[in-house]
Amino acid sequence: MRFEFTAEEIEFRRQVSAFLDEVLPDDWGGPAGLSDDQEWKLNQRLRKELVKRGWLVMSWPTEYGGADSSPMMNTIFAEEMAYRRAPGLDGFGTRMLGPTLMRFGNDEQRARHLGAIACGEVQWCQGYSEPNSGSDLASIQTRAVLVGDEFVINGAKIWTSLGHRADMMFMLVRTNPDAPRHAGISLLLVDMKSPGIEVRPIVNMANVHHFNQVTFDDVRVPKANLVGDLNDGWRVGMTVLNHERSGIEFAAGARAVLEELVKYLKKDDSPVSTAKSDPNVRLRLAELSTEIEAARLMCYDVTWRHGQGQEPSSEASMSKVTGTEIYQKTLDYGLEILGMYGGLEAGSPQSELQGRLLKLRMLSTATTIFSGTNEIQKNIIAQRGLGLPRARTR
Amino acid sequence: MLEELGASLTPTPIVESAVTSRTLERYAPDAVKSELLPQIAVGHVLITPALLEREASWDATSARVAATRTDSGFLITGEKRFVSFADLATHALTLVRTGDDEPTLLVVPIWKARGVDQISLDHVSGVPVSSLSLSEVEVPLSCVVATGARAIEATRELITAGAVSRAVQLAGLGRVVVESTVEYTSNREQFGQPVGSFQAVQHHIAEMAIAAKQVNHLAHSAAWSFSRNGYSIARAAQAKIAANEKIPSLCWTAHQCHGAVGFTQEHDLHLYTWRALAWKMDYGDSAFHKATLAGAMGL
Ligand SMILES: Cc1cc2nc3c(=O)[nH]c(=O)nc-3n(C[C@H](O)[C@H](O)[C@H](O)COP(=O)(O)OP(=O)(O)OC[C@H]3O[C@@H](n4cnc5c(N)ncnc54)[C@H](O)[C@@H]3O)c2cc1C
Repeated sequence: MRFEFTAEEIEFRRQVSAFLDEVLPDDWGGPAGLSDDQEWKLNQRLRKELVKRGWLVMSWPTEYGGADSSPMMNTIFAEEMAYRRAPGLDGFGTRMLGPTLMRFGNDEQRARHLGAIACGEVQWCQGYSEPNSGSDLASIQTRAVLVGDEFVINGAKIWTSLGHRADMMFMLVRTNPDAPRHAGISLLLVDMKSPGIEVRPIVNMANVHHFNQVTFDDVRVPKANLVGDLNDGWRVGMTVLNHERSGIEFAAGARAVLEELVKYLKKDDSPVSTAKSDPNVRLRLAELSTEIEAARLMCYDVTWRHGQGQEPSSEASMSKVTGTEIYQKTLDYGLEILGMYGGLEAGSPQSELQGRLLKLRMLSTATTIFSGTNEIQKNIIAQRGLGLPRARTR
Repeated sequence: MLEELGASLTPTPIVESAVTSRTLERYAPDAVKSELLPQIAVGHVLITPALLEREASWDATSARVAATRTDSGFLITGEKRFVSFADLATHALTLVRTGDDEPTLLVVPIWKARGVDQISLDHVSGVPVSSLSLSEVEVPLSCVVATGARAIEATRELITAGAVSRAVQLAGLGRVVVESTVEYTSNREQFGQPVGSFQAVQHHIAEMAIAAKQVNHLAHSAAWSFSRNGYSIARAAQAKIAANEKIPSLCWTAHQCHGAVGFTQEHDLHLYTWRALAWKMDYGDSAFHKATLAGAMGL
């Protein structure tokens, strides 16, 4: 791996950072103090700005409106956005569905959807998990039956992030219940306004309405919305799912918290300002700094491998585990430094750092669970990466 | 009983009332005791500790709020922060400094009292927590509990009693979280088997169970030392340090074992985590108790 950025990369990082200075509200510390609606509005406004700069889909090939940017440029972009806690990215459209359609979609699907994603006009959501299918995704039960030239869908999806904001969903459905588990699944594109779809909000422990349960009652979807072949959905839906993911957002999030803490401790007028001369605090912050830097380098390593044309599966799992764990640990320590103030919610009178560390800590709970729980990632590291034998079934 | 109150997250000011009553019983002049203790016993009076100021330090010597002497008592001006159940309490037990810089522990009537303002805070504990802003609040001489070194000693003892109470509550809370995680992972199936059958999950829960047990022993040992004449500072500190460091972290591991459902407000797990985070800071964080313990070890 290269331990240096090119001049072009350094300049690009500067541009993104300057852009964020310009578009983010003054005194911006992240969306913790915003209501769900306010955050969504800001998300939409920033997304338009990203489109203007040509950054929203810069990772895409030029023929689809992208800039064919290198994995390192993409990682730098993701890192700067996460470091500033800037909303506006569209992971589902730009990182998941877009690359999936480029690889498996037909011309009509590409023409219809890629442009809309690139303009930031359509919000997608991902309908994979179900109440009984989390880590074991291949067990999904939501049924789609082909009737004439329409699929009829019945079942339930859960944990659907942005389901209440989305125009469209890409979803895995079971199209052949008699085939082996992985061979009876298909990927469909569904208009969220279709009759029979109901979106029920689920509020998370940080008090945010981010995900939903989505139920399907005889929902009709044109056959033309099938992506790839019938019953080939497992391959279609999983191949590019974590395409070029480096996990940099977690390391960047941790670094943001650490730097925020240091800056905060240096202020002489904070109630806990004496902590900065406490040797224990200094040691712990130094430890965190070391671990965060290690996490960051792991992400760059994954990115560098992507740039070399490799598919670093075990390394990506390592960086996800490292980044998410250090992110949570940094927030835990931040709350400890704040002491009694750590218990105040975002927006409370007398809160410090606007109470955002508490909210971020709550939100961060999900990072070790989504996109493959850390236990599943460790299974991958041990088995796929290190070649350890699997447990024999007793 | 405290363990069960912790296990059920009962939102009651029992610890607040118990530690203040105990302080009165041990330190207050007879006149104060005979006036207040019977009223506390029947529930007419609720006294909550109001010790923290802006620095939110549990060090009893850190109190700075000033009391000016008048003919009949004191006038108090200043702010006490993070007062639990101030909205229900009739009185606050608070440490102030009088004109000659003498620490003085006082019972301040706060129920609809002139000059007392409550700023209610949004607190992760889920119980009412406020800051008390005091502006020339009149407190008669008869409200003095202790002065000078005795006031500091009484305050320290109160904080220690509070710390042990929270440790016991955290032990109860941890036990329930372990039990409910065992139950959830025994029933939740993925890959055709309970997720609790995966060793990764089993090891998580085994660690949680070990932690809960350790805290339980330390907390009971500390509480035991209290029920005799006097108490062990070291055992109290050990109990609170272990409870602070192990129980919230056990809750986070429980979230991990529950997957997405534990991240919702529809599932109760978050209530335990919220409360554990609040109790972790209450009556002394780990840094505070470690310093105390190192001192008790003679360092
Ligand atoms: C904030 C958030 C947003 C999400 N957004 C979406 C979305 O938009 N669309 C979508 O489809 N899904 C989404 N998800 C769902 C996510 O993909 C699942 O939560 C994840 O796959 C884990 O499944 P589960 O929650 O059902 O946990 P479970 O699979 O029930 O796991 C419970 C526990 O068992 C462990 N476990 C399971 N299997 C094994 C094993 N083989 N070995 C060892 N341990 C194991 C897990 O690690 C975990 O600790 C989201 C989740 C969260 C938290």
